Amino acid sequence: MFQFVVKYLGFLKSAPLFPQVFESFLILWTLISRPVILDYVDDIRSKVLTWPNTSVSLHKYGGIQFNHGNKEIGHIHGNGILDIILSRKLKAQLIKEGLAKPHHVFPKSGWISFHLYNEKDKIMALELLHRSYSKILLSN
Amino acid sequence: MGLKQNMRDVFTPQFKGFFWSNLVGISIIGITKYLMTENGSGVIVFSEFVVIPILMGMISGWFWQDLGLVTRRLALYSCYNSFLAIGLSFIFLGEGIICLVIVSPLIFCFMLLGTIFGKGIYKKNNDKLNVSIVFILAVVFVTDTLSKHEYENEVSDTIVVNAPPGRVWQNVVAFKRINVPAQFWLFRLGLPSPVESTVTGYYRGAGRKCIFSNNYVFDETISTYDISKNLTFDIVNQPKDPEIMNHIAILRGQFLLKDNGNGTTTLTGNSWYRLYVFPIWYYDIWAKSITRNVHLRVMQHIKELSEK
Repeated sequence: MFQFVVKYLGFLKSAPLFPQVFESFLILWTLISRPVILDYVDDIRSKVLTWPNTSVSLHKYGGIQFNHGNKEIGHIHGNGILDIILSRKLKAQLIKEGLAKPHHVFPKSGWISFHLYNEKDKIMALELLHRSYSKILLSN
Repeated sequence: MGLKQNMRDVFTPQFKGFFWSNLVGISIIGITKYLMTENGSGVIVFSEFVVIPILMGMISGWFWQDLGLVTRRLALYSCYNSFLAIGLSFIFLGEGIICLVIVSPLIFCFMLLGTIFGKGIYKKNNDKLNVSIVFILAVVFVTDTLSKHEYENEVSDTIVVNAPPGRVWQNVVAFKRINVPAQFWLFRLGLPSPVESTVTGYYRGAGRKCIFSNNYVFDETISTYDISKNLTFDIVNQPKDPEIMNHIAILRGQFLLKDNGNGTTTLTGNSWYRLYVFPIWYYDIWAKSITRNVHLRVMQHIKELSEK
């Protein structure tokens, strides 16, 4: 369903409330189908907030956004899809290793999408977020 | 002292979240419904299905903000609250069960949206922001409620009957009872489906009745009686069913028969309706689907009778 909406209704992402409404549907669907994903998202959120100068906000296209100052570390959707911007080199490496996929909307950008399914994925998601966080720290 | 303690035990933040959000929601909808019916429009605007659930979610989120609820628990509470709101709408607002089934995705979704949104903004501890958002919601609600809402649409369906128009026509004007169980899921869930049609005569101006499975009757008057070609009828009275009342008005129905010249007939069923529930982008999907299934049930029956 997520892919269908992104592919065919993606043009509505700028419509007021639409991404947030869709995000609510995703959370409800996840609550019914894979509720443990919501716990993983909470765990990730709690962990990221222990890193210095991090904060969370609502992502403009739905989901929770992790920030360092004004810069986005990444964001995670209600169905457990984590989107992170990394260097193109690291992106290519992660995709080659099968650890991530090109971003579900912008496949040619530096963004990657990582799907959370289990506890191991949660650890990997934190690892990826930390890499993005470190990249921001270095650029600062 | 004991009473105070008991009150504290009952009026926990969880309870207050459920209680106050539903009290506010039901009150606003009840008052609006009363005022809208009083001034004659009887329209249920999109704000009642969108703004009110968001507001209810935000109210409950306000009471639950210090409970440290994880997302799973918060979403679950929001679902309980939606079930409660739907149940209260059934009891206090007299809504039909099928209507509530139809509206429930909006309630669940926007209630959760309000709860999550509330959780996000209360954390910012910015009273100006909180008041502004409630103010914006109020402005949207009032503007939407006072705006004129009109929407009419037509649904058209076609099937080919393996019989000449003359034989099909005999079953179009009036038809014997449909005994085949309905397949459409809403009919199986209890939404009345068409079962029989009777007429007082075979001429323009004659009365026609479309009888539904729960014995509700749509009274119709034949406005066009063009033998073997066109039967058009205006709906002059529709049943006072809570599933229909103040939600949809069926205005006119029509059967068009086209001779295909090979012993078959193309039968087209048209219906015109007016919606009293908004947003259209949501309810028209349902209205079309239901109307289409009413058409197909009747037209399939006509086809079977004509092909015997």
